[in-house]
Amino acid sequence: MPQTITDIYLPRQAKVVQIEIENSQISTFVLAFSAPLFNENFRYQPGQFMLVSMPHCGEAPISISSTPTRPGTIHLSVRRAGKLTNAMHGLRVGDTLGLRGPYGRPFPMKELQGRDLLFVAGGIGLAPLRAVINACLDQERFGALTVLYGSRTPSDIAFQDDLALWQQQGVDCRLTVDAAEAGWAGAVGLVTCLMDGLTPDLSRSTALVCGPPLMFKAVLGKLAAMGFSDEQVLTTMERHMKCGVGICRHCHMDGKLACVDGPVFSLAELRRLKIMELAEAPASAARTSTTDHLR
Amino acid sequence: MPPAATTDSHLLKKDHLKGFLRKLSKEYRLVAPVRNRHSDVLFTVIDDLDGMEIELTEPPQNSLKQFFLPQQEQLSTYSVTPEGYEFHPTQAIIPPTVYFGVHPCDLSSVLYMDVVFSRRQRDPFYLRRRQGSVLIGINCNFPSPNCFCNATGSGPFIEMGSDLQLTDLGDRFLVETGRAPGHALIKRWQGFFSPAEAKDRAARYQAFLEARGRFSRQVHVEQAIRRLEAGTVPEQVWEDLSLRCQDCGGCAYVCPTCTCFTISDQQRDAVSGQRLRNWDACTFAGFTAMAGGHNPVVAKTAAIRQRFEHKLRDDVRLTGRPSCVGCGRCVGICFGGTDIIRFVERACQGSL
Repeated sequence: MPQTITDIYLPRQAKVVQIEIENSQISTFVLAFSAPLFNENFRYQPGQFMLVSMPHCGEAPISISSTPTRPGTIHLSVRRAGKLTNAMHGLRVGDTLGLRGPYGRPFPMKELQGRDLLFVAGGIGLAPLRAVINACLDQERFGALTVLYGSRTPSDIAFQDDLALWQQQGVDCRLTVDAAEAGWAGAVGLVTCLMDGLTPDLSRSTALVCGPPLMFKAVLGKLAAMGFSDEQVLTTMERHMKCGVGICRHCHMDGKLACVDGPVFSLAELRRLKIMELAEAPASAARTSTTDHLR
Repeated sequence: MPPAATTDSHLLKKDHLKGFLRKLSKEYRLVAPVRNRHSDVLFTVIDDLDGMEIELTEPPQNSLKQFFLPQQEQLSTYSVTPEGYEFHPTQAIIPPTVYFGVHPCDLSSVLYMDVVFSRRQRDPFYLRRRQGSVLIGINCNFPSPNCFCNATGSGPFIEMGSDLQLTDLGDRFLVETGRAPGHALIKRWQGFFSPAEAKDRAARYQAFLEARGRFSRQVHVEQAIRRLEAGTVPEQVWEDLSLRCQDCGGCAYVCPTCTCFTISDQQRDAVSGQRLRNWDACTFAGFTAMAGGHNPVVAKTAAIRQRFEHKLRDDVRLTGRPSCVGCGRCVGICFGGTDIIRFVERACQGSL
């Protein structure tokens, strides 16, 4: 009984259309699938991710930073982190890579309609939120948009073109840096320092948070102090992944899998899980076994 | 194929077994537990029926996992050409296979793998191997010392999922039909079979009662499941187990339901290579490590916790039953004393 089953593990070829250099570590790759018809029909939602293949590097999950309201290309904003992402930074316009996806539970865009949205991001964490922000601006069905963005130094500020454009379109964008450089007149400190002056209407606000673990915990504390309930806070989780479709279990999170149950979660959902990001005490730095597999 | 409407029972004289298997092996690849010259019992592809000793009582050391999810398999090949970076699908030809002499634990594990590899996404590699397969089970009259399938709801006799199931009644097997392919086999080679009578079915029931009384271990799996769900397993249990676990991955490799895998590229030359899938183990420290070295599962107890919570809590939530099938293989292989029986015993301490 010959029966064809779609090969869910087979990547499709995509071409680099354009590369936007965001800072020394982050670039945004504008991509189109090489097969025109597939590219035309490709659909995704903000918050979903792709598994990217580079020759001899295997695959890595990268969240989509473009908005589905602007079809034709998909953007992947990538920070140099390991072998595969470093190889991506060697790509030039016209080069090819492998893609499969989109995968994962997206941001609940329908539920967010009509609400004021507070975006809080650090570094590359703005990438998945960029998808939501641009979708909101294109659809005009959302309330006030506020973007708080933290970077290490002024020259590390990524997505500067987007931030300028968002500001022009009425988004309240506020920036901060950990360490100032000559000529920086803006805020200095963790992104939480930007939250002090805010007076959100809690009855109609949702916060979307994405950034490194330390920032994440600090922001959660601040949001709680401001009166945000756990249901009003959304985030997207980063985990090691292999299959992307809920089988290989590398992205396990106390009974949930980041690839299919997430990567987008509400804080209320995360609170029910025993995960490192919300652990009370700092986790020990490493396992002490002498036979640790170094990978 | 839809399940058969009825179960009917037949007799197969032991003298006729080889003849029946010989017929089967003409149309199918035949896999059965074979005792080799080192006295190891292993599920083996039978290429010489007369020169191989099929062993139906002692449980095989390997499970059927490797036949449906090979330890290593190619998912695709890739090349970098002037047209760019391209993937080429791999489509291994899997011959239709009869798995003969499958113990209830291993049969349950195949049913579990069916869920893993088709519930959310249909895994083409697993399903291609599974689609042409026929499962002929053997009920366990003599559970082995490490067996506890009576506590995991997967034995000692088969309840579902087989195409045919055999019960050893001394000089003959009682053969009961399950799924439709089993009915077809009986019909096709009916000359080997004679009708079973009420006394044969009574003998089967007696064999079941005796088998049920032969378990040497009482493993309180249900109680461990309740304590995991309630979150009342003491932290000390996890700490002790993680200290003793030597991170060898042996438990995951011999486990018939451990299906975690990793995917990686193997470079052939500068412009080509293959993408491989390999067995992995959640207890390995690197299982969750991300690029750049950050690992969200660093607490030393978290990896071993994942192993047991997945099998005895998360899968119970998902399927209503644990994904431990009570085969006892991890008990035999673990030299650190962190096998699933040791876990269940520790988890239940102080609550009996």
